[in-house]
Amino acid sequence: MRAQFRSRIRLVLAFLVLVALGILLRLYFVQIVNGEEYSLKADRQFASVSSGLFDRGSIYFIRKDGALISAATLATGFLVAINPQILTDPESAYFAISSAASSTISHDGFMAATAKKSQVYIEVAHRLSESAGQTLSAKAIPGVQVLRERWRQYPGVSLASQSIGIVSYGSSDTLAGRTGLEAVYDGTLSRSGDSLYKNFFAELFSNVGNLLVNAKDAREGDIITTIEPEVQTRLSNNVAKLNQKYSSKESGGIIMNPSTGAIIAIASYPTYDGNNLQTVDPKLLGNPFVEHVYEFGSIMKPITMAAALDAGVVTTGTTYKDTGCITVNTRQICNWDLKARGVIPMRQIIMQSLNVGASWLADQLGQEKFRDYFTRLFGEKTGIDLPNETGSLLTNLRKSQQVGYDTAAFGQGIAVTPVQMIRALGALANGGEMVQPHLVSAIRLNSGIERTLEWKKKIKVFSATSTRDTVEMMSALNDEILYGGKAKIPTMSVAVKTGTSQLTSPNGGYYTDRFFHSFVGFFPAYNPRFIILLYTNDPKGVQYASETLDTTFLDIVHFLIDYYGVPPDRGFQETS
Amino acid sequence: MRNSRIHFPFSLVSFCTGVVGVLLVLYIGLIAVVMSYATVTVEFSHSVRNDEAAVAMLEGRYLANVASITTTDYAIAGYALPIAKIFVPAKSVTALR
Repeated sequence: MRAQFRSRIRLVLAFLVLVALGILLRLYFVQIVNGEEYSLKADRQFASVSSGLFDRGSIYFIRKDGALISAATLATGFLVAINPQILTDPESAYFAISSAASSTISHDGFMAATAKKSQVYIEVAHRLSESAGQTLSAKAIPGVQVLRERWRQYPGVSLASQSIGIVSYGSSDTLAGRTGLEAVYDGTLSRSGDSLYKNFFAELFSNVGNLLVNAKDAREGDIITTIEPEVQTRLSNNVAKLNQKYSSKESGGIIMNPSTGAIIAIASYPTYDGNNLQTVDPKLLGNPFVEHVYEFGSIMKPITMAAALDAGVVTTGTTYKDTGCITVNTRQICNWDLKARGVIPMRQIIMQSLNVGASWLADQLGQEKFRDYFTRLFGEKTGIDLPNETGSLLTNLRKSQQVGYDTAAFGQGIAVTPVQMIRALGALANGGEMVQPHLVSAIRLNSGIERTLEWKKKIKVFSATSTRDTVEMMSALNDEILYGGKAKIPTMSVAVKTGTSQLTSPNGGYYTDRFFHSFVGFFPAYNPRFIILLYTNDPKGVQYASETLDTTFLDIVHFLIDYYGVPPDRGFQETS
Repeated sequence: MRNSRIHFPFSLVSFCTGVVGVLLVLYIGLIAVVMSYATVTVEFSHSVRNDEAAVAMLEGRYLANVASITTTDYAIAGYALPIAKIFVPAKSVTALR
């Protein structure tokens, strides 16, 4: 009897062990072998509820006081879907949905959707506000589902939109950053989205390490840009007004810290609203600051001057005879007013913007040295954290014809991007070093750690003496020439240079009546905090940049002085 | 022959039954904890995101106000341009604080 009982017990125990092993085996297959498949299946079943919601890190502007303001974030609301198999009264459903949603499909489209009786889920409206979604949900219309939805939101609307970028499906079926910082930092901003499906047991079996240290937390995070929202707003507004006033093809501006390369504002016009991409011209999605090259004209002259001074081929005391026009390789090069100046010192080349003088400097430098300086300045991409950066067009400097060098000396015949241009001009402002322009200063990781990005790559181009001499000439231009001397700020030295270049014709050669205007300036001139580059392409009814861009430039200068409280660098005697 | 089998002071069947019971309770408890944790995580995550969205709305308003101030033409609004601008030393600003 006892032996029989024991054998029964053993039988029961063996059965229990077998069942336990079977369950363990099943768990292993469900959670580890086929875990991903089940996860996807769950995603499909609950595609529009909580777990499948779009998630992505934020991009921030940084105010002068260090406060972070969202440039790109997530908005939450509701989407509306219908189940044609359950929906009984399509007309009243359409009325209810269209009155709640700001944009929905057309009446005909809705009716066609309701006719698809084989389907159980068709989305008919998106981006309903919180209140509208709650109101519609409260009506509990049979066959109408109101589900939580999240989407990318740009609170600044069109503020720095071409540099912030967009998120879209592109050619794949996943939402990802496609342009601007959204694309460059997609690895940091995108979220894998599997964290809520994390199965404790599966994690325990497969990867104990992940439970303790999450690798995603060290990779995923938010982006903190160097863009100051109020300065950005000011620049954007000024650039838009400028473009509208002169009916230009396009206009743009960059404000950068010349010591660090941090871009404080970057604005172009026309631009777009990242929240409403349906009607945007795809051409606008690109970024002209890194993807377009321009012949900038006379703002190149200070660079030529600094190169000549640095090479030691001229000094500030050197003079040359200006004849008004010269002929080089059968091509005539003339001053803007065709007038000869006679024997004049170097500073007049900058102050009067003399093409003949700039060409003379190129001659003094010689082709090899000229090519060497300009290749160092513009031969490489800047490495800015924006996608699709293009290189410059310096073909003329690879030829032996002197005219190519002479025209390059005043910014014609070579084309560079605006970011390359401000980087090169920044070398004049900061004592001769080219810094690396950048838009992102730090990454705030999900782990809570803020990782500051290093942008320390610097290229020495000019000596400090040669840049100081050039800055003196540019500062004199502001104080004595611009606005007939009225632009002078008694308490602040400002270095400036205007540029006007002829636009290239698609048939070869240049237009005689269509121009590209540019303007560069920095202040305080001898220890600058800001360098400003402005340009407008093909403005109508004006010929020179001093007519179009000086007002915009001076407005920005005065705004920055007030906003940042930039202390005076001249004009006051210290009193006790 | 001496019987070498080990004798427990309790019934092995009762012991096994007890262990199975405890393990079952533990398993169910663990599942409950994991489910609760997942629910709380989801709710917390949603709550954070909803708050962020609400903050983004306020930030949008702030940026719109900045844009509005920037685009305001004060001359049209009835304000006259200053007749003269006087530059004062930064030190006097400090003194006025």
